[in-house]
Amino acid sequence: MAVLEVQNIEKNFGKTRVLRDISFELEQGQTLAIIGSSGSGKTTLLRCLNFLEEPDGGRIVVNGETLFDAADPATRREKEVRKKRLHFGMVFQAFNLFPQYTALKNVMLASELLAKELPNYKANKKEILANIEREAQALLEKMGLADRASHYPHQLSGGQQQRVAIARAMALKPDIMCFDEPTSALDPELTGEVLRVIRGLAEQKTTMIIVTHEMAFARDVADQVIFMDDGVIVEHGPARQVIEDPQEERTQRFLARSREGGGSPSPVRG
Amino acid sequence: MFWEVTLALLKGFGTAAELFGLTLVFALPLGLLIAFGSMSKWRPFRFLLNAKKKAEWKKRLAGFRPIKLIVDVIVWIIRGTPLMLQLMIIYFGPGLVWDNNIWGSSTGGRMTATVIAFVINYACYFSVIYRGGIEGVPQGQREAGEVLGMTRAQIFTKITFLQTVKRIVPPMSNEIITLVKDTSLARIIAVTELIKSSEPFMRINGLIWPLFYTGVFYLIFVGALTLLFNFIERKLSYFK
Repeated sequence: MAVLEVQNIEKNFGKTRVLRDISFELEQGQTLAIIGSSGSGKTTLLRCLNFLEEPDGGRIVVNGETLFDAADPATRREKEVRKKRLHFGMVFQAFNLFPQYTALKNVMLASELLAKELPNYKANKKEILANIEREAQALLEKMGLADRASHYPHQLSGGQQQRVAIARAMALKPDIMCFDEPTSALDPELTGEVLRVIRGLAEQKTTMIIVTHEMAFARDVADQVIFMDDGVIVEHGPARQVIEDPQEERTQRFLARSREGGGSPSPVRG
Repeated sequence: MFWEVTLALLKGFGTAAELFGLTLVFALPLGLLIAFGSMSKWRPFRFLLNAKKKAEWKKRLAGFRPIKLIVDVIVWIIRGTPLMLQLMIIYFGPGLVWDNNIWGSSTGGRMTATVIAFVINYACYFSVIYRGGIEGVPQGQREAGEVLGMTRAQIFTKITFLQTVKRIVPPMSNEIITLVKDTSLARIIAVTELIKSSEPFMRINGLIWPLFYTGVFYLIFVGALTLLFNFIERKLSYFK
């Protein structure tokens, strides 16, 4: 069964139609890469999934539960949005780590705050918090950052910051991890270490959606690839096929251009 | 003579310090309130956008933010006119306009009028500093909190608050040091602050040094504040 069903998503910014009739499904444990030039709507799509933007039309279904339905006002209530967001984890292009907390605290903070809502929080406070810390430590270790737990973000390299951000998003155990151009703000040397971590997650069957300009990475790591242009899905298929043997002319042109440019068109928000 | 001057100046300094303290106590929170007002996104005519035909005037009216407009005009007037003028209008205004001097002729009444003028004036300056601090926190910080399931209150207290404080300390220290010296304006309505309390020695005794002596008081007070602000900045320097 599909973990995620996205049906006919529409989004307008004023008169600009940013997303038009976006539909796709994602299976448990699969990785979906979304490619396309800047301004094609990729980032807006991810932001819609994370409720950072409200779509003007369409439905978002996770594990059979309708999280959003533009036609049903009850699903649009602000109060429930908070809980629904937790189905998705989000990794931003600019990391957005909290500068006043250590790497470890960045990973733990949201879990600590959510734990306060547990009915048995007061009685088992010590145990719950110790558990959260243990899990956060384990996540940082998985990201190769065990020795950086007590560092503040400004003391870390971009690649390290982004790996902390990945750990932070994973800490809440989301059903689907979303990556918005996770390496676009990084030097080429630092890009590799972040891609390696994401590749590791794919091997462990984490369900993921990755907006990326790294074509080789999309081909090798993703199961499916979606090519977007001008707010619509132009092509959607198995990763290797879309990247190596695209059927649509627009996809072919985009891929040819991105090869010329060394594989990474400018990292502007798309 | 030296002790006589010292005692008089200490009294004047007490008045200045009281004005300084009261202004801060009321202007700091009021400034935050004004800052929120100037960031208000309330658009009561937004519903006009739902109409099928969107005329230009409807779009204009739909984007109209009345609270922001009112607050912006007030801040413009207060920042655009001298504090001395505001002080005189608040103190003399009621008596001249309604023939009713609500402040009385006592020292206390004059002090109250002074505090009110100072609080309004400084709250407007503070509001702009607050707004800069709040808007200076990148939107990504709020969004990161949102996607982690935090409530608006949690995002404010756990994420943006400290980053805002860090941003506003340097401009705030500027404004607060200016406030120390602005207390001397209170003499215009005969509040015996530091400088006014030194004047008799100049006029009656023909001495110049008591004037310099008042300068020493200001310098020591501002010096202590500078140390305090440096301390706060150091405390917050562990993150960037």
